[in-house]
Amino acid sequence: MAPTTGDPAVEATDLRKAYGAAVALDGVSLSIPAGTVYGFLGPNGAGKTTTMRLLTGLSRPDSGRVRVCGVDVADRRALASHVGYLPETPPLYEEFSAREQLEYVADLRDLPRDVAAERIDRYLGAFDLAADADRRISGYSKGMKRKTAFVQAVLHDPDVLFLDEPTAGLDPRAARRMRESMVEFADGGATVFLSTHILPVVEAVADTVGVLFDGRVVAEGSTDSVRSRAEGEGGSLEDAFLAVTGGREGAPPADGGESGSEDPAARR
Amino acid sequence: MSLRRDLRGGSRIARAEFRRSVRQYTGDWRRLLGLVVAVVFVGGGLLVTVPAVYVLGRTTRSVSSIPGFAPVATVLPALLVVFAAFRTVERIGGADGEALLLTTVHPRAVVVGLVGSEVARLAAWFGVPLAATVAAFALGVGSPTFPITAAAVAVPMLCCAAVWGYALGLGLLRVLRRLPRLRRLVKWVGIVGVLVAVVGSQAAGRLVAERAVAFAAVLDAVTFAPVAEYVALAFVGTPLSRPVSLGALAVLAGVVCLTPVGLAVATRQASAVWFTDAAADPASAAKRATTGGFDVPRPFAAAAAGRVAWGHLLRAARHPQELSHLLLVVFFAGPLGSAFVGSSGEALGILIAGTGVGLATYLAGAAFGLNPLGDDRPQLPLVLLVGVDARTIVRGRVLAGVAVGLPVAVLLPAVGAGIGAPPGVAAAFAAVGGLLCVTASTFAVGVGAAYPVYEERKFWGSETVVPSTLVMLTYLAVVGGGTAIALLLTWYGLAGLTLSPGLGVGLAAYLLLTIGVPYGCYRYAVRRYRRYTVG
Repeated sequence: MAPTTGDPAVEATDLRKAYGAAVALDGVSLSIPAGTVYGFLGPNGAGKTTTMRLLTGLSRPDSGRVRVCGVDVADRRALASHVGYLPETPPLYEEFSAREQLEYVADLRDLPRDVAAERIDRYLGAFDLAADADRRISGYSKGMKRKTAFVQAVLHDPDVLFLDEPTAGLDPRAARRMRESMVEFADGGATVFLSTHILPVVEAVADTVGVLFDGRVVAEGSTDSVRSRAEGEGGSLEDAFLAVTGGREGAPPADGGESGSEDPAARR
Repeated sequence: MSLRRDLRGGSRIARAEFRRSVRQYTGDWRRLLGLVVAVVFVGGGLLVTVPAVYVLGRTTRSVSSIPGFAPVATVLPALLVVFAAFRTVERIGGADGEALLLTTVHPRAVVVGLVGSEVARLAAWFGVPLAATVAAFALGVGSPTFPITAAAVAVPMLCCAAVWGYALGLGLLRVLRRLPRLRRLVKWVGIVGVLVAVVGSQAAGRLVAERAVAFAAVLDAVTFAPVAEYVALAFVGTPLSRPVSLGALAVLAGVVCLTPVGLAVATRQASAVWFTDAAADPASAAKRATTGGFDVPRPFAAAAAGRVAWGHLLRAARHPQELSHLLLVVFFAGPLGSAFVGSSGEALGILIAGTGVGLATYLAGAAFGLNPLGDDRPQLPLVLLVGVDARTIVRGRVLAGVAVGLPVAVLLPAVGAGIGAPPGVAAAFAAVGGLLCVTASTFAVGVGAAYPVYEERKFWGSETVVPSTLVMLTYLAVVGGGTAIALLLTWYGLAGLTLSPGLGVGLAAYLLLTIGVPYGCYRYAVRRYRRYTVG
């Protein structure tokens, strides 16, 4: 079920999350229209992984609300068909082959066998995994694992795709294929929420960019508008990123909160 | 509709998890070897058990004449719940690939899948011996329907115990998450509990035999007739059958009704555990800090190997989970337990002194020496390229082990002397213990380097790289035997034993082996480090 017309694909309102005394998110609000590739940027420890976990319902906010395609993320049964999630560590079973893994996920999602078989073959071919599809995942390279995990995240044709560092560890060809896939998904009406450190990827595919720093969204808008924040310093997205996040990684936040530490959710 | 869908999803998860377990076992020859040993061990036991159960079936005239039937039948469901809770805390409280499963299916399906896979694994381990035992009893009783009725009674009870045990286990995990300090305390309580159980079990048999009447009274007290009558339903259709009581039927109805309730409770507990975050641990790694740099104290600072040893000791103190494999020695404490209980005065003092030496030699090698390459694996690209000679690396491990063992070798004999051991004996034991710590630690690095284990595994609640069990048992046998011989020779030497030619030859051979084998092991370990390639 795609979001009804006018409903944002992802809507987060005033999200707050703390781990003990460490505030991970402090009043984050997002409203992402369907069909958007949303580039989510932030330095280490900014709270990106925490945000992803809250948006996918894998963690609960201390306060605030998240709806994906109009569905409250607490309603897990209704949410499952809408979202696909590729975490930073691919959730794969090393004892399975890629084909077994994908068939297992298709089975859990109750995809009809013929549909599943067609999609699995198509994606395996598209990501150059067909020749190794029957090898155990334990023997895969990091890039192959990431590609397999990407395929399992999109197998059910989700409305919203959450990707955490999807191109990390990929060779240039695979990275390009991944970027093309994101754009294809967005062109098909799906929403892609892309969290990454690789700024050229964001520049290449994102329609909208949000920058998270110290648990807050400190810049948001089209790629060009965010880039314009650094006009005086060269005008690249990297310059803009450095400008809005204090100029260096882990820079002390204005309120003296914890910074430079890893995102608590990423450590879980 | 949603229940059916969750059960379907759960069965798929259970099947996949079971298949993964089978592949993990069959893909590792060490595990297969362990499986073969288990099969031989259990098979040997069955050779005795099956005929005994057959005879029991032949001779039993009524259910009540089966020894301990009522109390065992009463306690059994509670034990199953506790066992399920234990397995939940230890293994199935969470799923591998949690992010995938929880964004794909409802948590109830994951609960069903995890519990189902664990039941399947346990059935694979214990199914054959249990089936053989039940079949033997059925043959003895002369009732072919007994396996069917037994299964009809067992399955509802197992399902109920499994879901409630899972709910209980997850409840414990929630509590431990909220109270991280309690979690650490529980680990220590668990270790002490196992020690008490192992030592206590040695005295339990004697206690039961001596106080048979009191024990019978305890059994009577724990018996709850309706539950025992429910379990006795397994004998319906056999010559042992007794009239079906209302109490038994009420228990059956209760078990059937409580199972879906337990599943609902378990699902709520699972959602609470899986979708909430652990309370911030005040002692969490993120908040720990050290000032002052890498200051190595004397005498470790005197040599490069000493500084390496200090590094091992410091890391072990900050991350003691890496030494969790040392707890294996707890299982050897049983025989000593009864010896301690039965001794006093001088004998107790000598026993403590000797035990101290044994413990010291064990710690000296087992702490840092039994898996040197495996322990160092993540740092090997640094260690091998930093320019430190392999001898220094190996000597560092040996020294670190000696630093752990030596204080024990000195202190416990001193305690023994305080209790009543002759000071001369205690001092001699301490001196011999100190020397043996060096040889044991040197021996360990060779044995450990011969069979490195690189994979992390869960051991006593900690995910860490631990030495191979085979290596540990080999080490225990050799060093334990060698230490015992050394202590006996010391004891007889102090008692003024005359050295006959035969004994002299034996002593020389012992000394040669005690020095020569560890030296050879040391050389071997150095060579392994020098020739090691990452790959």
